Amino acid sequence: MGRRGPGHPHPHQSAGSLHEENPKVTFKRQWQAYSGYYDKLSTMAAGNTAPDIFQIDEDGLAQYASRHVTLALDSFVGSRIKMDKFSPGLRQAGRVDGKLPALPAAENTPALAWDRTIAHQFGMPDLKAGISWNDLVTWGAELTAKSGGKIFGTQDPSAVFQALQVWLRQRGQQAYDGAKVGYTAADLTEWFQFWATARKKNATPPADLTHVANAGDLSKSLLATKQGATSFQYSNQLEEASKSTDHDLALVPYPGPPNAAWARSSMYWSVYTGSKFQPQALDVLNFLVNDTDAGKILGAERGLAPNLTVRQVVTPLLTPAMKASVTYETELSATFGATPPTPPKGHVQVRKVLLQEAENVQFGKATPAQAANQFIAQASAALSGG
Amino acid sequence: MTVATPAARSGSGRPAIRRKPTGRETVAGYVFLSPWLLGLLGITAIPMLYSLYLSFTDFDLLSSPQWIGLANYQRMFTSDPQFWHAVRVTIVFAVTSVPLKLAAALAVALLLNRKRRGTGLFRALFYLPSLLGGSVALAIVWQAMFGGNGAFNGLLRIFGIPGEPWVNDPNTALGTLVLLAVWQFGAPMVIFLAGLKQIPAELYEAARVDGAGRFRQLLSITLPILSPVIFFNLVLETIHGFQGFTAAFVISNGTGGPTDSTMLYTLYLYLRGFGDFKMGYAAAMAWVFVLAVGLLTAVLFGTGRMWVHYSDAGER
Repeated sequence: MGRRGPGHPHPHQSAGSLHEENPKVTFKRQWQAYSGYYDKLSTMAAGNTAPDIFQIDEDGLAQYASRHVTLALDSFVGSRIKMDKFSPGLRQAGRVDGKLPALPAAENTPALAWDRTIAHQFGMPDLKAGISWNDLVTWGAELTAKSGGKIFGTQDPSAVFQALQVWLRQRGQQAYDGAKVGYTAADLTEWFQFWATARKKNATPPADLTHVANAGDLSKSLLATKQGATSFQYSNQLEEASKSTDHDLALVPYPGPPNAAWARSSMYWSVYTGSKFQPQALDVLNFLVNDTDAGKILGAERGLAPNLTVRQVVTPLLTPAMKASVTYETELSATFGATPPTPPKGHVQVRKVLLQEAENVQFGKATPAQAANQFIAQASAALSGG
Repeated sequence: MTVATPAARSGSGRPAIRRKPTGRETVAGYVFLSPWLLGLLGITAIPMLYSLYLSFTDFDLLSSPQWIGLANYQRMFTSDPQFWHAVRVTIVFAVTSVPLKLAAALAVALLLNRKRRGTGLFRALFYLPSLLGGSVALAIVWQAMFGGNGAFNGLLRIFGIPGEPWVNDPNTALGTLVLLAVWQFGAPMVIFLAGLKQIPAELYEAARVDGAGRFRQLLSITLPILSPVIFFNLVLETIHGFQGFTAAFVISNGTGGPTDSTMLYTLYLYLRGFGDFKMGYAAAMAWVFVLAVGLLTAVLFGTGRMWVHYSDAGER
């Protein structure tokens, strides 16, 4: 039986733990870093040799589900797979065309990580939940000024998809309307313009620094390089972000009303439709999400355990950073809005186009309006299968 | 196909006689060739033909290819601005990096051609970057060196010059890629050196007697006699230049950014295929690429007749 997961060794240990419980099931494990993960997975799927169990995230979920690479789990939920103790948000997550093509593996939510050490060094007040986007820019500009321009107050998140998504939700809009872009060029112009103004106030770094942060690699984020005091992330990433700096990091919700946040499945477990061991694979999935021993090994690096009982057992055993992300998300979960539908096919391209057009504005190669119009044209083409 | 019989086999030292191979020998010849033939068919020819077929389909790797005729090609030429952008970036990259690389290779080869102490060591050192070739490690080093806080800016700061975030600025990112390509001039340099060694010393002596200076010698002796080697290197490096991928991929984190300034053709092809699951489109791009580079090579051969001087032309 083959299985693999991008990023870290824990699932392998949990597989070992399952093997001890049921010695008849053995595992052949494969590891692949996130970059190159989909290349490898889709090549294997094309050759009908995909692993029996694999991880997938919302970037690829709709694509793989609509191509029937992942086994629809609906008929097994309640029997081989239990979801009754899942958090309410995750019970909604991951549906594609009304079906459940994969099992939510961990829960996270957007979170603004900020550098408490730097903020206190320059006598800045703590960032708090519920401040407005304008407040964040004012705070950022003040920090930049106090540091003598050496440290930039806040990251420019105009290319960060989930930041745009939160901002849209606060306006009562959605990132996607079915398989279409859920907002207009005018909305996006406003978003780009807001950050262009913030850049002029020196609240955010110049384009080249933002470009490095845009690559999405936490080890190159503004917090890791200590060139900026905030980073637009997901809650579970605090653990990894904390490893790349000796400063004290903390989490607050993205600016604006915090109830725009939602329970997001950071990763999914899938069973390959071509697997010869489907019953066993389904049992493994159930074990991974519902067993406390598996939960202890998986920790919270991917996010909170989907099963609330497992979550309670696991939390005291976590690292301080993981505990902080659990506390943050647990507090926020009381006001969580609805979990949005799984992004449609073409989502990866849409994110790429957003990055490209946001950078066109940041580097002064396009006005916010030009970039927004370009985005709508290209994103719409990508979503319609172009 | 002819099979030459080695002279030593008869043991008599008679020269080999060309004759028609017998049927058995033909079969034996093909048997000996079979490892290569199987490789050619299995690894090169069949996949290439299959990709030609795929280029006329819509194929996302996960479901079976759908025949769509020329739609991929049509889209590429008429309604994909990013395609033309990638073409432009690639041409700029090749047109700047290839001549600079050849000039650097020739210049260093000329210096190393003199008999001095330690030239062997320098030859090895200059060749070293090429050994590391299209390596990922090298591109990562480059990214670190030409970043905002990189070593290169550190060097500039010593001289009081404010640095630039070279790899992260759309105006200079491609330039750093060109520089990386030029730096790896070792392979053409070695070929130039071999060519330079072939030039008879008498020609230079005669020229000196006639009062020709060093520059005159370079123009009238070295370059004309070396022209076949220059031509060889030009063709090879041009093809190589158009195929640039690794450095652009690593330095831009696989995005072709900032703002698509390092979006080389092969990188865009890869992103369309593996990023967007448009394998049919990527296959079509690959075929357009093969034809374009083939055509360019043919043009080079055409112009080569005008400036490449074969000293043994009279003997043929």
